[in-house]
Amino acid sequence: MKKNTLAKQIIFYVALVAIWQIVSMTNIWPNNLFPSPYEVAEDLVYTASDGSLFFGIATSLLRLIVGLTIAIVGGMLLGIFMARVEIVNQTIGSLVLGLQSIPSVAWVPLAILWFGLTDGGIIFVTTIGSMFAVTIATYTGVKNINPHYIEAAKNMGAKGTQLATYVLIPAAFPYLISGFKQGWAFAWRGVIGAELLFSFLGLGFLLNVGRQLNDISQVFAIMLVIMMVGIAIDGIIFKRIENKVMSRWGLR
Amino acid sequence: MTKLEAKNIVKYFKHDSHRLKALGGVNLQIEDGEFVCLVGPSGCGKSTFLRIVAGLEIPDEGEILFDGKPVTTTGPERIMVFQEGALFPWLKVQDNVEFGLKMAGIPKEERTEISKRYLDMMQLTKFADSYTYQLSTGMKQRVAIARALVMDPDVLLMDEPFAALDAQTRDLLLVEMQLIWEKTKKTILFVTHNVTEATVLGTKVAVFSNRPSMIKKIISVNYKRPRLVEDQNLFPLQQEILSELRPEVKKS
Repeated sequence: MKKNTLAKQIIFYVALVAIWQIVSMTNIWPNNLFPSPYEVAEDLVYTASDGSLFFGIATSLLRLIVGLTIAIVGGMLLGIFMARVEIVNQTIGSLVLGLQSIPSVAWVPLAILWFGLTDGGIIFVTTIGSMFAVTIATYTGVKNINPHYIEAAKNMGAKGTQLATYVLIPAAFPYLISGFKQGWAFAWRGVIGAELLFSFLGLGFLLNVGRQLNDISQVFAIMLVIMMVGIAIDGIIFKRIENKVMSRWGLR
Repeated sequence: MTKLEAKNIVKYFKHDSHRLKALGGVNLQIEDGEFVCLVGPSGCGKSTFLRIVAGLEIPDEGEILFDGKPVTTTGPERIMVFQEGALFPWLKVQDNVEFGLKMAGIPKEERTEISKRYLDMMQLTKFADSYTYQLSTGMKQRVAIARALVMDPDVLLMDEPFAALDAQTRDLLLVEMQLIWEKTKKTILFVTHNVTEATVLGTKVAVFSNRPSMIKKIISVNYKRPRLVEDQNLFPLQQEILSELRPEVKKS
């Protein structure tokens, strides 16, 4: 079954590249607007060989990790308070819903004014763009905990931080993991978006350089890399955690 | 010595605008080491009464006295066993059993030593490293009982713990429950809708009337243990309880 899926995927992508190659050879669009896969690959090899690609990936990932970590910790704390303290939900809860609707790039002007053209600004955009997704998932998760779990835990003497660490967070974990996944996706968009607009390092920056130099191959190449990093993180980190949690809970 | 005393417990159920008087002044006195079964028509509030004794709910009138002191919140001296066990799916069986000890800050080695004893008592040793989804309903209920006993409570509060079990498993647990009670000398309050279960387990059976519920009659069961479900000698008592219950069930 799994092998079968992989085979299908390989065939699909090979076919996709083949079609891409054929279309680029027909010259429907000029070469400086639609590069061939070969040119894109060449560009990838070039940026990889001088190290700028890996440096770009590392820079973006570092910003992502810092921003997302803050978002996850902060988002979970806020979500737990919202779920457990009604007044917090009634007040801050409504604000969270509003803030969640602001796209992360819309925070960029504010970030530049507050932090200047610094890493801090990019991390700010990443964090604020992803935190509320984690908050909302945590809130929903904690609200959906079987009340008997909480009652039993309290009965056995758990309260405050103990209750949160040993019961609320693990009990809400199936929801939390989807919140983390969503948070990560928002954070990745946030990093790239912010880098595109005001950074001198990172994948977003490389993408912008491609545009400035009219180097369509580089634009294609970097976009491919952004996508592949995304697939890799989703598949390697989140899929694994999710599978582990689901099987432990007997949900799969 | 009186372990628990319910004094005129009144409790309303609130449904949006109207309130329903569920408990209409329950008085009950339980001596240390007694095994009291509460039976009554479904929806009469016997589970609510148990939750009030546990401190999970607050009565609208009246009070519960534990060792002469009023109960205001949950406490480790009154441990509840829930209908579906309320075991934590993110913990292994052993960690579930040790949960209360961990909350109390007891070191790991000591916890393991204590939990081993109770896992052994409940014939769970083989399953110490299992997750709860790997267990049958009967096994889960054993874990729930072990988890409660580990806390060494004065009073065990059991809310229809065997309701979801198949007949054979239940009969087995009914015998084991009697042995546990004889061995541990706990005071037990056991809610059930099953009259046979009540006469097999209880030293006393308290019959609840229909809403607003009060205790209609208390019947002592003086018969040698271990009692079995099929024991004909318990039959007249069961008939007596049923004749008290029947008009109440009709009223509902």
